[in-house]
Amino acid sequence: MRNLKAPLATAAVAALVLAGCGTTSERTSDQPQAGNSKECKGADGKYTIGMSQANVAEPYRQRMDDDIKAAAKEVSQFEVKFADAAQDNAKQVADVENYITQQIDLLIISPNEAKPLTAVVKKAFDKGIPVLVLDRKVEGDAYTGFIGGDNVEIGTEAGKYVAEKLLPQGGNVVELKGLAGATPQAERHQGFIDAIKANPKLKIVADASGDWLREKGQAQMDALLKANPKIDLVYAHNDPMAEGAYLAAKAVGREKEMKFIGIDALPIPSGGIKAVEQGRLSATFTYPTNGKEAIAAAKKILVDCGTIEKTQTLKTRLIDKENAASIYAEENPTG
Amino acid sequence: MTDVQDKAVSAPTAVAEKSGGVVATLFRFQSVFGLLAVFIAAIIFSPRRDGEILFVSADNLANVVRAVSEIGIIAVGMTFVILIGGIDLSVGAVLGLAAVGSAVLMVESDWGFLPSVVLVLAIGLVFGALQGMATAMIGIQSFIVTLAGLQIARGLARIWSDGQGVAIAYGNGPNEAPNSFAILGERTFGGLVPIPVLIFAVVAIAAVVFLRVSAFSRHLYAVGGNEKAARLSGVPVIRVKIAVFAICGLLAALAGIVHAVQLNQGSPNDGIGYELDAIAAVVIGGTSLAGGRGSVAGTVAGALLLGVLNNILALNNIESNIQLLIKGLVIVAAAALQRLRPAS
Repeated sequence: MRNLKAPLATAAVAALVLAGCGTTSERTSDQPQAGNSKECKGADGKYTIGMSQANVAEPYRQRMDDDIKAAAKEVSQFEVKFADAAQDNAKQVADVENYITQQIDLLIISPNEAKPLTAVVKKAFDKGIPVLVLDRKVEGDAYTGFIGGDNVEIGTEAGKYVAEKLLPQGGNVVELKGLAGATPQAERHQGFIDAIKANPKLKIVADASGDWLREKGQAQMDALLKANPKIDLVYAHNDPMAEGAYLAAKAVGREKEMKFIGIDALPIPSGGIKAVEQGRLSATFTYPTNGKEAIAAAKKILVDCGTIEKTQTLKTRLIDKENAASIYAEENPTG
Repeated sequence: MTDVQDKAVSAPTAVAEKSGGVVATLFRFQSVFGLLAVFIAAIIFSPRRDGEILFVSADNLANVVRAVSEIGIIAVGMTFVILIGGIDLSVGAVLGLAAVGSAVLMVESDWGFLPSVVLVLAIGLVFGALQGMATAMIGIQSFIVTLAGLQIARGLARIWSDGQGVAIAYGNGPNEAPNSFAILGERTFGGLVPIPVLIFAVVAIAAVVFLRVSAFSRHLYAVGGNEKAARLSGVPVIRVKIAVFAICGLLAALAGIVHAVQLNQGSPNDGIGYELDAIAAVVIGGTSLAGGRGSVAGTVAGALLLGVLNNILALNNIESNIQLLIKGLVIVAAAALQRLRPAS
């Protein structure tokens, strides 16, 4: 083992020497706000758009990509490329770096998490690439525009609907929450409990975390059914958990005693709109994928040489038995 | 006895001479040739812009190596473990634990740079050593020990961080990490070479040199080649095993520190699945999962090969699902080549 000291020491010295050769900071760049600095070629140009997705394994995010693809087809100047970070911040940083190397004309990103992606998004923006941030924000203001839903508003709408329409006579509510620590989870909870205060006969008798997952929602509901002889409503923070809860209730023959509502309303065969149409869920609330709006914003910037609002918040929509079929058809024009 | 000694000595350095000829050399440097082939293919298939080959732009090459630096650092440690015929599934979780530790200590506890880094590295080292003890002294297979270690490290990371990502801001104020830590995530040599790349390079060179010159190296290959024979011939098998797992844990923790500084955050979910990428780099690098045969240089080439492959697939916008297929096939191809390799 004594042989080992010399090479290690050499390596350590080499490291120190190399590291001391002077560092430059990417963080303290004080270039002026860019993003629109490139000359606008307008309708005559051809544009490559890079879409960096956090994780296409989530149906919501796959749908976001699909919506972008479909909307971009209508704009002849656009070609969109897609990258998937598979829920890994480091992978998403590399994805954006690769887009910068490719010299794309506009970046659309739905960040996996805010903090780790902020620096690389700023890097792209500082290079003059317009950046549209979807669904989840980054920190600071080094981006062109943010488009997203408002989870507090969604929770509020769900609460109002329950308090006024679904259970005006009051009743026992069970809440199935999303992943602990996730912002949408906290916001969907807060909006809901504030809104149901309007109806004092509504009571949340139990809650549990289903981690956004159908199977977790089902398992949690199994236990909640045993513990609570009277449940009138299940409020789940997303549709898959609502569906899981429905399956659990059905397994013990109690699905008719209670109502189920969810959130997201994805217009896909396994999504919430179909579940409402087929009667398993009483209602769901759309959480916009922002895909269509992102391409509209990209068109405004690149083709129309215009500017867009820094923050665009999309409204939620109630999906119930009456409008489920028509909205599903509207969201899937080609069938 | 002589047989064991012979095998132990010759394995790292003399495979080529022993099996003789060009073919053996080709196999021995399989991953280096593989890297070369993928590199050339990347140049050919690289998108161009105004005559510039985008793949070979300095900026892009720096990105390629930066992107694999964490996996590379882990894979070096993994090579040691696999060389003794073990496996370490806990490295991704230890990376997460170390990333969380760096963030919590420097941001929330306002520790200095050096004490934080030293403690985090020590945690990795001790965690690895404990796993080494469990497998060497109790005799549980390393697959099981480190599968349990993965859960434990992930659980510790969740507890330490309260289940939340801990954001890292830099400065001198309270709840800010020192600026000296920020340097680890920056670039040097005129803003070209990312510091994580230098750290990876230093780790790799130190490991190669270590395996060349230290007596420990002979023991390592001996344990991997034939543990029973090694024990009979006086190799301190238990100590070697504990040391190897400790090194692997230490390097995983180092990768975690690099991870935290690069992403300005320590999250308990960091590094999920990294153990598999690291194992892939080792396998592509020509190290045998049966133990006793392989090299750190091969692993480095394997990690770089994966990095170049990821990069060129991304630059050509190959669909992410297809990318998974291609990467899977490359791993199988590398393993198949190993089977064809003449026995040493």
